[in-house]
Amino acid sequence: MKPFSKDILHLENIDEVCNNIITKLKSDVAQKLQRRGAVIGISGGIDSSVCMALSAKAFGPEKVTAIMLPEQDSSDDSKNLALKLANKFNVKTLEENITKALDGFGCYERRDEAIAKVITDFDPKVDKAKIEIKQNIGQNIPAIFSVTVIKPNGEVVSKLLPAKEYLQIVASTNFKQRSRMSMLYYHAERLHCAVIGTPNKHEVEQGFFVKYGDGGADVMPIGHLYKTQVYQLAKHLGVPQEIIDRTPTTDTYTAEQTQEDFFYQMPFKEMDLIWYGWENNYKAEEVGKVMDKSAQEIENIYKSFERKKKTTEYLRMKPIF
Amino acid sequence: MLTQVETKSKIKDYIINATLSDNKTISDDTLIFETGLLDSMGLLFLIEFLKEEFNVVVNDDELLPENFESVNSIIKFIEGKL
Repeated sequence: MKPFSKDILHLENIDEVCNNIITKLKSDVAQKLQRRGAVIGISGGIDSSVCMALSAKAFGPEKVTAIMLPEQDSSDDSKNLALKLANKFNVKTLEENITKALDGFGCYERRDEAIAKVITDFDPKVDKAKIEIKQNIGQNIPAIFSVTVIKPNGEVVSKLLPAKEYLQIVASTNFKQRSRMSMLYYHAERLHCAVIGTPNKHEVEQGFFVKYGDGGADVMPIGHLYKTQVYQLAKHLGVPQEIIDRTPTTDTYTAEQTQEDFFYQMPFKEMDLIWYGWENNYKAEEVGKVMDKSAQEIENIYKSFERKKKTTEYLRMKPIF
Repeated sequence: MLTQVETKSKIKDYIINATLSDNKTISDDTLIFETGLLDSMGLLFLIEFLKEEFNVVVNDDELLPENFESVNSIIKFIEGKL
């Protein structure tokens, strides 16, 4: 086993890594799935950008269709960056606004109703809202979500979410990812293509995806890569710098929300390394020395990873016969 | 008002019912998160139970292991709030 270091996840042979993914993607789609190209949802985020770039290289840009799927809560940046990316790789784009579909499902109404039960003066017309984990990851207790409402005058109100309201908010916002998945499959079937899934290793293993939503895809080319490795690929493949520099957000709630606030509770660079240490059985002392943390802190983070993986097992399970 | 023994018994019964566990496997000091008895949804439902049963409201700054890690810590936490 290599001694633990901050460079342990650095991909030395990035060209080879990309070529291997491209070769596998080609053979998975053409031979295993018997499809003639790729359909991919692009959000202007780093993961979908890298997957689109890999797809363009694997199938040729003419066999890739990139679909932007905005809705009323999406940021305008997402669309602009997605367009910039597609232009750079000569991939054709389609825009499918899913707001009406989400309205039909009652996505916004059901979500806002649950928020208003917890923060009674919440006005969805003017206030912005998000859910987030406020605990530190090192605490030896499972993470619990709070809802935060930001008033037009900047006042911030935050309350712990009771179980019923938490579940209703999550279930209603999950309509977004599931509607996107439905639309991607519409186009994939229409074009006889495969749907390219964009989750990275953390999203897959920590369960930061929606079952049958963004977790619904035919192939997941970066599902084995750590977030910092995805950034390395992005640079190598020539993904626009603004996308690389953008802080990863969920682009799901009306208030701005980073993925770190929403789910991971720690910066990607640290999380990648500690996750690697955990899954490769590095001793907490050794990892702590490199990460400038005590062995106890690393042990607590290991436990939190273990809990997250166990709690989200249901998301990764296939239907049981 | 409930005695400490009655409160303890209610909390233990709740955890046993919620987790479908054998009551012999849960002692007053069993670490309920460490042993995997409750996960984050389990903790959320436990917080709801404490509110319904004992009218105890948990604030986010009280979500600490020392307040919830075992039946004994929950009792101590509730007593401090009542």
